Formats: sequence, structure tokens, C-alpha cells
Amino acid sequence: MSSTAAGSKQSTVKQRAELALNDEFLRKAVKFTTERLRSGKKSASEEHGNWDDWRERGRQIRLHTIAHLDYYLNLFADNARANGVHIHFAQTDVEAVRIALEIAQRKQAKSVVKSKSMVTEELHLNRALDSIGVEAIETDLGEYIIQLAGETPSHIIIPAIHKNRYQIADLLSAEAGETLAPDTQILAGFVRKKLREKFLEADIGMTGCNFAIAETGSMVLFENEGNARMVTTVPKTQITLMGMERIIPSFEDLEVMATLLPRSATGQKLTVYMSAITGPRRSDDADGPDEMHIIIVDNGRSNQLGDPEFQELLNCIRCGACLNACPVYRHIGGHAYGGTYSGPIGAVLTPALNSNVAEWDDIANASSLCGACYEACPVKIPLHDMLVYLRRRKVESGNGSKLESAGMKGFSAVMGDARRMRSALKIGQFGQKLVVREGGIRLRLGPLKGWNTYRVAPSLPKHTFRDRWKEVDRDAQMKGKPLDPAVQARMEAIVKQRQQGGGHGHGGHA
Amino acid sequence: MDMADTHKEWLQQMELQSQAKQKSFIDGISAKLGRPRTEQPPVHPFRGAPDFWRTFEWTAEERIERFGANFRAAGGYVERLSDMDEVRRFISDKAVEWSAKYVVRQGQPELDELNLEDALENANVAVWNSSVDEEWKARAAEADFGVVLADYAVAYTGSITVLSSKNKGRSVSLLPTVLFAVIPAERMRTRLGEPLQQFDAIGREELPAGIHFISGPSRSADIENDLTIGVHGPGVVYALIVG
Ligand code: SF4
Repeated sequence: MSSTAAGSKQSTVKQRAELALNDEFLRKAVKFTTERLRSGKKSASEEHGNWDDWRERGRQIRLHTIAHLDYYLNLFADNARANGVHIHFAQTDVEAVRIALEIAQRKQAKSVVKSKSMVTEELHLNRALDSIGVEAIETDLGEYIIQLAGETPSHIIIPAIHKNRYQIADLLSAEAGETLAPDTQILAGFVRKKLREKFLEADIGMTGCNFAIAETGSMVLFENEGNARMVTTVPKTQITLMGMERIIPSFEDLEVMATLLPRSATGQKLTVYMSAITGPRRSDDADGPDEMHIIIVDNGRSNQLGDPEFQELLNCIRCGACLNACPVYRHIGGHAYGGTYSGPIGAVLTPALNSNVAEWDDIANASSLCGACYEACPVKIPLHDMLVYLRRRKVESGNGSKLESAGMKGFSAVMGDARRMRSALKIGQFGQKLVVREGGIRLRLGPLKGWNTYRVAPSLPKHTFRDRWKEVDRDAQMKGKPLDPAVQARMEAIVKQRQQGGGHGHGGHA
Repeated sequence: MDMADTHKEWLQQMELQSQAKQKSFIDGISAKLGRPRTEQPPVHPFRGAPDFWRTFEWTAEERIERFGANFRAAGGYVERLSDMDEVRRFISDKAVEWSAKYVVRQGQPELDELNLEDALENANVAVWNSSVDEEWKARAAEADFGVVLADYAVAYTGSITVLSSKNKGRSVSLLPTVLFAVIPAERMRTRLGEPLQQFDAIGREELPAGIHFISGPSRSADIENDLTIGVHGPGVVYALIVG
């Protein structure tokens, strides 16, 4: 198929889709299932047995892969190439962006449809695409809403959680050019139709990657909406951005990851879709991309390799369980962390990726060190220990004041009694104000006082988090609420649903 | 030189750059790991699921029952049908009930035998990739019904597995509003690992471009955490277990 003929066909697809999409039919269908889902007795998710054995297995697989990352990543690249994928290596964010933009320019792309990808957020790729006149369209329902509003996501599980349906109806009505009722089904129906046109028009589909299988060169995506499938099925060119640590050896190992990731991310047994893409479309296939690129990104990840205290960070499968488990995160929400990755994993990963000592204390301070993140983590990453290492390194590197060093001592004393602290925090797992006020903050006002009260060193580049933390701290003391109560209620509902296997939200973060 | 040729040349040039970069990139990883690069496959003692899980198996009836419970809990619909004649009748009845106008189905021989083309009197039934000059993605995008035959199903997670090929489009299980997946009972497995191990056994060269596990209707909870379905993929999914 020549590229010109293909181009004209592409527009035909759109016209036909516009002509034939049967709105009435869709509306009936949506109502049909949704009502049953809502009214039907939710079958309690049966307890998945031997959870700790699975976690341990997941940890071992990740430890093994990262310990031999040179071998497995090389194998993946060779195999993906043999499948017909164009592989690229990017040491830095700048390099990754340059490669992605070059492909977009070569393809004379006007628009790119995207499914949620933390790596592209890390690279600020949307902005870069915009700068060369390429429209980047987020296609997750929540991300799409946030993009229309010109904002950044507030919660990586439910990005538009800070918007209510009336605000969303206003945003979408402006896009539709007609007034849409503030009804979830009507709004979702509009987005389905609108984004379908976008999928059919787009020159490039862009995704992240949950796992990459070394032995077959396949990339694996977990999701609930189907937009990642759209993005990898409809456009003629696919670009996948992949963190270099996403590797697992085999499909057999994927069973373990598929057991751990959705259960930890959303409480589902499996996300609605799990897709393994092995190369571009075969010559006689009638869908799938003609051209497929995978950009393998380092961007600070390799700094963790060979570091005994932080190498395990690369085991992270981006399930978000540590966020939901963290009383501090639940209290202050995602925006406060400032970086792409928030919550306990973000607190460690952000400074680690940036190798930026000056930022360490800033974010590491946002942890109450209760260990809830470790207990939630499906691959048993000792995040709470890592936060301690970060603080220690900051002190060692001379960025800590005398007062902070004194704080370290008091801090070890608390760690010695970690069990008590943990159970103290558990009591209030749902009562966030209680936890942060009576748990985290009071504990820190005790032996850790130094950590809370030291002054900002003038050389520190970012004060954002600290400033917000102080506000939160003050708010909590004054029984003010840092989050809109409606938003907070929704967040709590999510945590509860997760525990009941409700499966709301996205299935992990590619 | 026309566009396509320059593009090809550019890709080749990128390819050379990438291969050179691969060496330094991977060598850099070995250096960080503090040892020389190994060409030998490392011994992987923890490959795949824990041992206790590998022998776990439900009986044929249990598998069907568990699959049904899981699939329904995820918002899907499950029917147990005795043969393909019943499948034809079931889909025809639904087509009347829903007044479906456009249907797209995979070109699998088992579905050829269903002959939905004659059975669905008021609908236009298209067979995936059955002619070269048709725009197949558009056919699927406008379809009310999509009909596929599953390659596997997994009871433990309530999943249907479909593999792509010339006559099996990825779009057919994705773009239509309502999806019917016909599952021959003997393709029902207990564990996710069963089909996954098959893919390792099949090996890279023979794997299809797309392998999809489908565990219910497309869903989202992004508006006020209120569950809605069918934002992108099919909003209604019927698993029709035959035999
Ligand atoms: S560190 Fe957090 S996001 Fe990463 S795997 Fe563990 S719980 Fe999930």
C-alpha cells in the first residue's frame, strides 16, 4: 500500500465512521450494561490466596531481571527489531523527545492520539509536540477532560477527580458546540464519538508500556477503557515510549505481573484489556500499525543500577498501590508533589531520577514513614527505608543542618519502634485527618521535630512542596481541609472499591 | 526521489544509529551493574508462577462456572449454548431485539459455518478482510455487532483471548458497540498462565501482531468516580460458551 493511497483512505474511514455511527444504538447499549452493573449485587472479590507468595515471586522476577538488565534489554531490542519494530535508545529526556519529534515530522503528522503514559508525562512530550504544531490528544476519558480544561491530573488513578459532572458537562459542551446534560452516560457517549473521529484521523498513536517481554520482543499494555487498543490498532504509525526497566523475561513471567498489577492498582482480577503487541501489522493483516517505533528511555533510571540502597526502585510496576495506602498522599492529593510521579514512589523516584540532592529533603519529608507503602507494594519495594536513606544522604552530603542531624538521631529512635508507629497509623487508615494530625504530624513533632522546623536553605531550587506541606500542616492543625470534601469523599470511595475488587480507575500506569 | 523512498532511507539511517547506540547503552548498564556484559542467558530460578500454582486446575464444569461468575461480575453476559445452531439463533434473536444494522465478524471457518449473512435478515454482515478494497477499520467502527471466535478463555480471571491474523482483525473485538465472543468449551483453561505459556512455546517468529485478553465491557470511572461503560471499546459483551 503506498502512503498516498493510505492517506486518502484514512479520511474515508473518518467520513464513514461519522456517517454510520449509530448514537441511539450506543445509548441503549450503555444503559443496558451500566444499569445492571450498578443495581446488580456486587460479587465480593474472592480472596486471592497466597498473596505473599505471589508478591515474593514478583519481587524475585523483578530483582532477577534488573540484576541482568544488560542481557534482557539487549535481547528485547534484538527481538523487537527482528519483529520489524524500529528501536531507539534515549539516554536523556531531551534525546527521547528529539527522536519522537523527528518521527512525527517525518510522518508529517498533524495529530497524535495518546493513551496514558507516565513516561511521556515525564518527558513533557505533549508540550514538545505542540511546539512543532502537532496536536497531542489524550484519549483516556479523565485525561481528555483534564486536557480540555488545560490542567494537569490531580490523581493518577482518577485524573479528573477534582472536577464534578457539571464542570465536566460545561467543558464538553463547549467542545460539542451544544449543551450536554450533566449525566455520566451522555458525557461518556459524547467522548466516545468525538474521540473515535480523533482516532481515525490521527497519523500517530502513542503509548507507554507496562511490560516488555525480552524473549519475544513484545510490549504489553493493561487498561480498562480500550483507548490503548485503539491507539495501537487504528493509526498507521505507533510510537511507544518505554522506561528501560520495563523488561520481564517471558510470557510466563507475565502471569505473575498480571496477577499482581491489576489487583494492586484497581482491585480487579485482570484489567478489561491486556494486550501483547508483537511488531507492526503482518503484511496480510487489515489493521494494526504499518510502522512501529519503540523509544527506550533511561533519563536517570540507570543511576539506580548498582546502588544497593536504590536499585530496587527499578522493580516498580507503577500500580499506584503505595499512593492509595499513603495517609499523607490521601491527605494532600497528587498536585502537591509537583513532579510526574507522586505519592511514596514519587517521593523517592523523583529525586533519584534527577540525582538531585537538594530536592531530597523536600519530598522525602512528605512521608510519615509508617510503612503502609511497603505493605501495599506488590513487589515489596522498601520505600520507607529508601526515604530514610534519602534523608541520611542529604545530611551526609552536607546539605543538612546541625539541627537536622539531631533530628536523625531522634528519627532512628522512632524507627526502632516502627511497629508501634505502624499500628498507630493503621487505626486511622480511612480517617485521613486523624492520621495526619494525630499520627504523622504528632509523631514528627516528637522526636522528629528537627525535620519539620529547620529553615529553608537559600540554595534549594524548589520550595513548592515544602510550602504546600506547611500549609497542609497548618490546615490540619486548624482542622481545615486541604482537599475539597467532595474530592476527598471520592478518593476514599476509590480506596474502598479497590479493596472490594470494584476495579474503578485505570489498570496501572504504562 | 519520492517521499516513501526518503522515508525508507531515513529509517535505515536511524537503524544504523540505533544499533551503534544499543552497544554503548547496554555497555553502560553493565558498567553500572559493576561487571562485564554477559552473552550467556542468566539462570532464572523464579521464572513464571509459584510452584503451588502450576498444578492448580479446575474441572471442565468448574472452569465454565467460574468463568461465568467472573465475567458477569465484570459486567459481561454469559450464555451456555449446546451447539453452533443455538449460537446462530441467539445472535439472530439479539439482532432483532436490538435492531442491529451493521455486523462485522471474523473470517474464521467456524463462523463461516454459522452463516449469519443469511440468518440476519435486516442487518448487513461483513466478513473481516474478505476483500482487498474495503476499508475494514471503518466497517468495524460503524458496526453495531462484532462476532469473534475465541482462541482461549481463562476461568480464573474471566478472560477471553483473541489472536490477530489475516482473517481475524483486532478491530472486530474492539470497535463494535456489542461484542459476541463464541467460546468452544474445550478452549476454556483454568489459569492465565496456560495460554501465556503457549505463547512462549509458539515463539517470537510465529506470534501474531496482536494478542488481546478481554475481561468484560470497556469501562471508565473518570466522571465523579461514576462507573460507565463503552467509552472506547464494546459496551456490551456476550460470552457464548458452546458445548
Ligand atoms: S512502589 Fe508503589 S507504584 Fe511501584 S510497585 Fe510498589 S506500590 Fe506499586
